Amino acid sequence: MAFSYSPDEYESERASNSYLMSMVAIMAGLPLPIVNLLATAIFYFGNRKASTFVRWHCTQALLIQALTLVMNAAGLYWTLSIIFGDNTITNGYISYLITIVSFNIIEFIATIYTAMQTRKGKHVEWWFFGTLTNEIMGSLVR
Amino acid sequence: MSKALLQFLALAGCFFALWYSLSRFDFVKKFHVEEVTREEEHKLGDVVLEAACSGHEEIRSDTVLDCLNSIKHRLCAANGIADSTIKIHLIKDDDINAFSLPDNHLLIYSGLIDYCKSPEELAGVMAHEIGHIEAKHVMKKLVKDVGLAMLATLAGGQAGGEIARQVAQTLSSTAFDREQESEADAAAVHILAKANIDPRCLADFLFRLSQEKADMPKSFELISDHPNSKDRSAEILELRKKEHYAAQQVLNDDEWKTLKGDAESVDLPR
Repeated sequence: MAFSYSPDEYESERASNSYLMSMVAIMAGLPLPIVNLLATAIFYFGNRKASTFVRWHCTQALLIQALTLVMNAAGLYWTLSIIFGDNTITNGYISYLITIVSFNIIEFIATIYTAMQTRKGKHVEWWFFGTLTNEIMGSLVR
Repeated sequence: MSKALLQFLALAGCFFALWYSLSRFDFVKKFHVEEVTREEEHKLGDVVLEAACSGHEEIRSDTVLDCLNSIKHRLCAANGIADSTIKIHLIKDDDINAFSLPDNHLLIYSGLIDYCKSPEELAGVMAHEIGHIEAKHVMKKLVKDVGLAMLATLAGGQAGGEIARQVAQTLSSTAFDREQESEADAAAVHILAKANIDPRCLADFLFRLSQEKADMPKSFELISDHPNSKDRSAEILELRKKEHYAAQQVLNDDEWKTLKGDAESVDLPR
């Protein structure tokens, strides 16, 4: 499915940057999951008056980070409860860590791919996140 | 139902299905998690024990240690605790102090034995420290105060002796937080009652200590200001009312006199 118009160079770059915001935490070496979301949210609010293409991708990037935050924050809370609280390392905990690491790796690869494609002006819709973004912004796809 | 909601449910389903499938594997056994944890704490315990005992004489008299171990055995046996896992060390020092180290080491200063009026009071203090050991307060305190990375370095033998001394100092001279102290006091009351020792002995000891040794450093766990020793004493007396026991003597008079007398002298190692 194609976007309703072809974005120019400037729009493509800005839309691509919205995905790169989620890499901020990794680049800064920070372990807190909320930093990704904050960086993406700041970029989203900074581009509220940008073109539709840019706003669409900022919204999709923000939704991706919001769900990732929930997943990673639960893992962080569980880890802290083991270190500082009364919980112990269990099979459920280890398998949860493996699960979220797997999802984070998939999300990382997909984000890089999406950033590259968007930079070329190509529209990339993620499964579920793209659908949700369409529903939030109204369908722009012919 | 909207397409987005259906896709969300499918995505969540994949997530939980993966999590559930992976949780069927026994990772704890495969990665020897419990053994590694015990081994690390054992190494940490050895390092910190050496630092805590440096500069002090450890009393190794059979007579004295047999008395202390008999008290320990009575407390542990009545409460289903494996007493072989708790290692008692008697240190020649005039300070009135007792504290626990990683790997279930329990250090008692001779000054404490000298100050106790009865073996029941000594049993009370030991029960309190066993309460900390059983609730794993020692490692939690160290992780909070020293940090996990530093502890791992210490256990790995890569940290200097100064770090080990600081860790030992932290454990010997700073109190646990209010919640942990209350938890250890409550555990002590229960441990004592199950061993048929009147928990009042611990309350009396703490109260007397706070009154007679008001000039003692408040950072020592036994006489910490946080929580207040008088409040702790009152709380112990309240908890005591809920327990059922038939108070029996901990040591006979001869054994107690021997313990107190021998604890004052430094014996040659066994």
